[in-house]
Formats: sequence, C-alpha cells, structure tokens
Amino acid sequence: MNAKKRIKVIIAKPGLDGHDRGAKVVTMGLRDEGMEVIYTGLRQTPEMIAKATVEEQPDVVGLSCLSGAHNYLFTEVVEQLKAKGMGDVIVIGGGNIPKEDVPYLTEHGVSAVFAGGSSVKDIANFIRGKLNA
Amino acid sequence: MSKNFNQDSLKDIKRRREEWEKGTLKQALDRFKITKSPNEFYTPFDIADFDFADKVGFPGEYPFTAGAYASSVPGSGPVTGGYHIGGGGGLVRAGRYSGYGTAEDTRDYYTREIARGRKGGPNVAFDLPTQVGLDSDDPQAKGEVGRTGVAFDTLADFEVLYEPFKGDTDLDKIASNWTINAPTIVILAAYVALAEQRGLDLTKLKGTLQNDILKEYIARGTYIFPPKPSLRLFRDCLVYCNEKLPSLNPISISGYHMREAGASRVQALAFTLSNAISYVQVGVDAGLDVDSFIGRFTFNTLGGSMEVLKEICARRASRRMWAKIVKEKFHAKNQKSWTLREAGGFITGAWNCTTQRPMNNLTRAVIGGFSGALAGYIPSAEPPYDEPLGLGWSIEAQQLAEDAAKILHYEAKLTEVQDPLAGSYYFEATTDQIEKEAWELINKVEAMGGSVGAIDNGFMQRALAESAHEYQKKLEKGEEIVVGVNAFNGPQEIEVLPNRAIPYPYDAGKRAKAEEIQVAKLNGIRKKRDNRLVKKTLQAVEEAAADEKVNILPATIEAVKAYASIGEICNVLRKTLGEYSAFGSI
Repeated sequence: MNAKKRIKVIIAKPGLDGHDRGAKVVTMGLRDEGMEVIYTGLRQTPEMIAKATVEEQPDVVGLSCLSGAHNYLFTEVVEQLKAKGMGDVIVIGGGNIPKEDVPYLTEHGVSAVFAGGSSVKDIANFIRGKLNA
Repeated sequence: MSKNFNQDSLKDIKRRREEWEKGTLKQALDRFKITKSPNEFYTPFDIADFDFADKVGFPGEYPFTAGAYASSVPGSGPVTGGYHIGGGGGLVRAGRYSGYGTAEDTRDYYTREIARGRKGGPNVAFDLPTQVGLDSDDPQAKGEVGRTGVAFDTLADFEVLYEPFKGDTDLDKIASNWTINAPTIVILAAYVALAEQRGLDLTKLKGTLQNDILKEYIARGTYIFPPKPSLRLFRDCLVYCNEKLPSLNPISISGYHMREAGASRVQALAFTLSNAISYVQVGVDAGLDVDSFIGRFTFNTLGGSMEVLKEICARRASRRMWAKIVKEKFHAKNQKSWTLREAGGFITGAWNCTTQRPMNNLTRAVIGGFSGALAGYIPSAEPPYDEPLGLGWSIEAQQLAEDAAKILHYEAKLTEVQDPLAGSYYFEATTDQIEKEAWELINKVEAMGGSVGAIDNGFMQRALAESAHEYQKKLEKGEEIVVGVNAFNGPQEIEVLPNRAIPYPYDAGKRAKAEEIQVAKLNGIRKKRDNRLVKKTLQAVEEAAADEKVNILPATIEAVKAYASIGEICNVLRKTLGEYSAFGSI
C-alpha cells in the first residue's frame, strides 16, 4: 500500500460573522476523517486567508459564512488565491447560503457549497474525490 | 418533616417496580427481542424527598419553580377589534427583531409595519460592522454593511431610524430593544442624545440593551475588547442607567446563543447563570445596592432543543436556581429581584430548524410554544418557519408563527393552569437532576475565577465545540434523528417548499445598494460636522477610558452628539482597553 500524503485543510471564517459552530464541527469532523485541519478563528479578511494558504500550502480551503456576505467574501478569497498563484487549491463553502446563490458561487471558483444539514462524511468524500485520494 | 410518601409505601413501590421489571416489562422486551427498554417510567420512589414548599412553591413566589409571576398572561380577556392582521394583537410586548440596509431603509420598513398595525417600539437588529464597532467604510466591513441588520455609524442614523416614532409613539412612550453588546455604550449614548435632542425626560426612557458581552466570547463572536475591560464598560452602563435611566433594562442575559453554538442543556444553563453572577458582582463591586438593579436584569431566552420534556425541566430549574443565587448569594431582599425575567415562550431553539422541507419548522415551533406554555411562559411559536432560508422572515411565516402562539393560548387554553406538571414524578425528579448537574458546572466555573476565568482559559468555548462535535457524530451515526435531514429523506419523500406569495419584507435591491449609500452618507457627515469638536470629545473619551474609576458614558454621549462615529469611538477605546483575540479553542 502506498503511503498517501495526509490531506491538509484550512477552515476559515471570512468577514465579521461570529457563528462558528459549523466551522468547528467540520474542523473536528475532518480530523476524525484523518485529515490535518487548521481552523483560523473568526474575522479573517480574504487577504489573511490567502496569506495563510500560501504559508500552510493546504489542499483545500473551506469557507464558512452565515452573515449573508458570502457572494462577496468567498469570491474575493478565490481571487486573492489566484493572485498569489494558489488557484489550484480547492475552495469549498458552507453556512447560511440560499440555494439561489449557489450557481453564482460555483461559477466563480467555489467547488461546492455544503449547506446546513450536510454531513462531514459527505464533505470528506467530496474532498477525497477531488484529490483522487 | 412532611413528605408526600411514607416509608412503607415507598418500600412497597420499590418492591413492585422490581417485580414489574422482572415480569411485565421483561416479557414485553423479550417479545421485541431487546434487553433495554426505550421508555423510562417514574414513580414516587424517584422523588422520595419531594417537598412542595421547598421544590415548587406558589407562582410568583420563592423559589419560582411554578412560574416567574403570580399571573402572567396578558390579553387573556376578550379580544376586541376582530382580526389583527400582522400582529397588532400579539401576545408578547417586544417588537419583532428587524432591521436591514441603511437607517432610511429600516425607517421605511418600520413605517410600513406601523401602517399594518404593529405597535410599540422597534427591536433593532444591527449589521455586523456596527456590532463589532467598525465604520461602514472600514475595509473589514466590506460586503457586510446592512446585511444582518441596519447600519449605524453616527447619531444621524438614529435620527432617521426613529423618525416613525414621534408624537404618541415618541421615545418616552415606547420601549426599544437593541441587540448590541461590545459597543453598547455608543448605542446607549446615541439614544440618550436623541432623547435630549427631542427634549424628553430621560427617566421615562424604556428599553432593553442586550449588553451581554460574556456570551460573545463563548458563542456569538461579536466581541471587541478583552473580557475584563468589557465588564468595566458594562459597569459604566449599569451605573449610568441606575442613576439616569431607571426604566431601562441594562442587560438581557442570553443562554440561547450558547445553545445554538452547541452547548448542552446543562452547559447553557450553568454558563448563563455563571455569566449572570459575574454581572451582578460588577454592580455590587461598583457599590450599588443589589435590589436597586437586579430587578431590571432581563434574560433573553435560555434556548433549548427538541427534547422538550427535559427542556421544560431545565426552565423550572433555571427559575429556582436564579432565585437561590440572588437571595442566598447576593442577599437581595425584594421578591422582584429574585425573579428570572425571561421571554421563554419557545423552547426548541432555532438550531433545530432545517432548510430541508422548511414547513416542518412550523411543526417544530408549535411543539416549542406548546412546551413553553407548560414550562410557565406565554407561548410563542418562534422562529418563523423560513428562518434558515436566509436573512429576514417572510410576512407569511411571521403570520403563521403569531397565529400558532394565539391558537396555543386562546384555543388550546394552555396557559389556563400554571405549572401543570408540578408534582409529576418525572418532571420533579428531572428538574432536580438538571439543577444538580448545573450547580456542579457553575462551581467548576467559579473555581476558575468565574466566567472571565473560564473564558480566558478557553474552558467554555471548548465545552461548546466538543458538545457540537459529539452531536454531529451522533447525527452521522443515526443516533440522533432530524426528520428530512439524516433520515426520512429518501426518494419516496417529497420536497415541500413554502409559497411566499406576499413580497419579501426586506427589499433586496435596497440591501444590495446599502453599503455604497451608507459610506457616502458617512463621508458627507465627516465633511459637515465640526471636526475640531469631534477631536476634542474623542480625546475626552480616551482620557475617561484610561482612568478605570471614571464612568465613560458622559464623555461618550458628548462624542456622539458631535457626530463622532462608532468606529472612531471604538478605535479610541481599542487603544486604551486593548483588543480581544480569540483563543485557539480547538
């Protein structure tokens, strides 16, 4: 059996939203799935998230937002990652995201949106599928 | 000691229970091929020490298990005026939590609501930049202005927001609610400045500030300064209100944010009361007489879950525990001081609402309101069923939530009996058990130096994250079931989408433009105002902040009157009080 590289994930809270139950549950759940997960804490600007991505070189950046500012914040993170040459990193999102906003996000570089009620297993499987891991 | 049951009959019950377990129950379990019964059954043996006066008492009297008030149901007489479309005849006093966009947008929304018959003052939702003390043009505020609530930068925004409240509904005749915590002093200062501008008597001002900063570090996240200096700001508010605004509630202590963030029932109960103890201690340390202020402490709902049998017990326990704390620990003398004043009519919690088949949230809310009534509150079937679909509720969902509460009250007559479950073997035993566990946790927090210690060392934050994680694991294993989410969601089930026939109450177009307009407005004010006066008043705020003994509010009021912005005032305070950076709690 090949020793596979451990999948590395950053879970980040862009913007000013303080609701981080979901971010923490996903952080802890993906760790249970054997991944290395860093949780940034609250109030991260897109610049801060891009900087952390450059430093940590994760496979995935997971963004959580429940304030309604996701369209701006998520796509801004994607832009900042591209600008820093990190456009290959998989970006996924979650939080209070109305269904009608999902197409906009997926057209702008967010690979998938996991809304309330998603299971951590599904998120883990999605990540593994994307990475062929 | 007079107990309900004599020893002989208890022995008999114990013997008969054992016989039942070995006989009737075992036969039933064998038939289903299971070893442990999925049902509990309680007997007098479970409350062998039950004493009515000690455990229950009369409604509105110590220890308040039977209810916070002797008689608490408003509007129980004949309803006149026929059909109250849109909530004119609501059961609860506080206006619906609302606000979006610019002050002008929310003003227009309030005006429409008043035209539809809504009474009373506003229950103001602020946007996140306001809640964390940033101006609308701060780079960190980008994308967030006017989203979760109305934007507030300067006194000019309050002047506009309160335009619909004049004459018969002037500030001295209505009660406002403000969901504001870290920068409470700025919002309070703006309200005082507005009332003075209108020449009103400050002692007549009514309202409730949320001002519960401790739970922000634990659960809600809109902190600015570290816990200790934040409690100093709380002290300044409390002392100022005590002197100048005797009709204003200086705090609304919240448990439900912790519950929403993952806290277990006992954690939320214990941490809420630990936080409340810290706030009372602040008042005592400031030299205030306990009875002069505790009566104006309010509790936002404690939150809950769908396990309503246990939630009812937790509410009964909460009233009894608060009464004990206030009477025995702080030696308050007035009965009113011992009362846990809480809007607790719904006890299932918004975190149980689902985006899948969202109409089911109405069923959940009705269960919450039903149980809330049995737990001693005026029922309310909150939140409206479309809560998880996006910010702001539809008018239809609001109508149905209000109707449900009225059906529970007027048709089902659930409030006809106070504490109807008192004396039940199960409810009394479980109320005792929850109380016992909560005291143990409160004592643990006390040993860490109270809430501030248990926040500084990350204990409370970790406890919530671990509980949330445990719950998620149970969901994924199917040990906890949420209908339509992790079960009963197969192809044979159909999606039921609510039909929003009446236009969405918040104008999405206005909300999208709010940031640009708000920033332009703020820039206009910065050009127009007397900037020398702003500088001088901000200097005075900084000096007041630097001296821990000084009350910061008078200087803040002067700065607000000079149209200093919330960001400018908070920046001065950040310099002197420091900034909180979140503990790496997981």
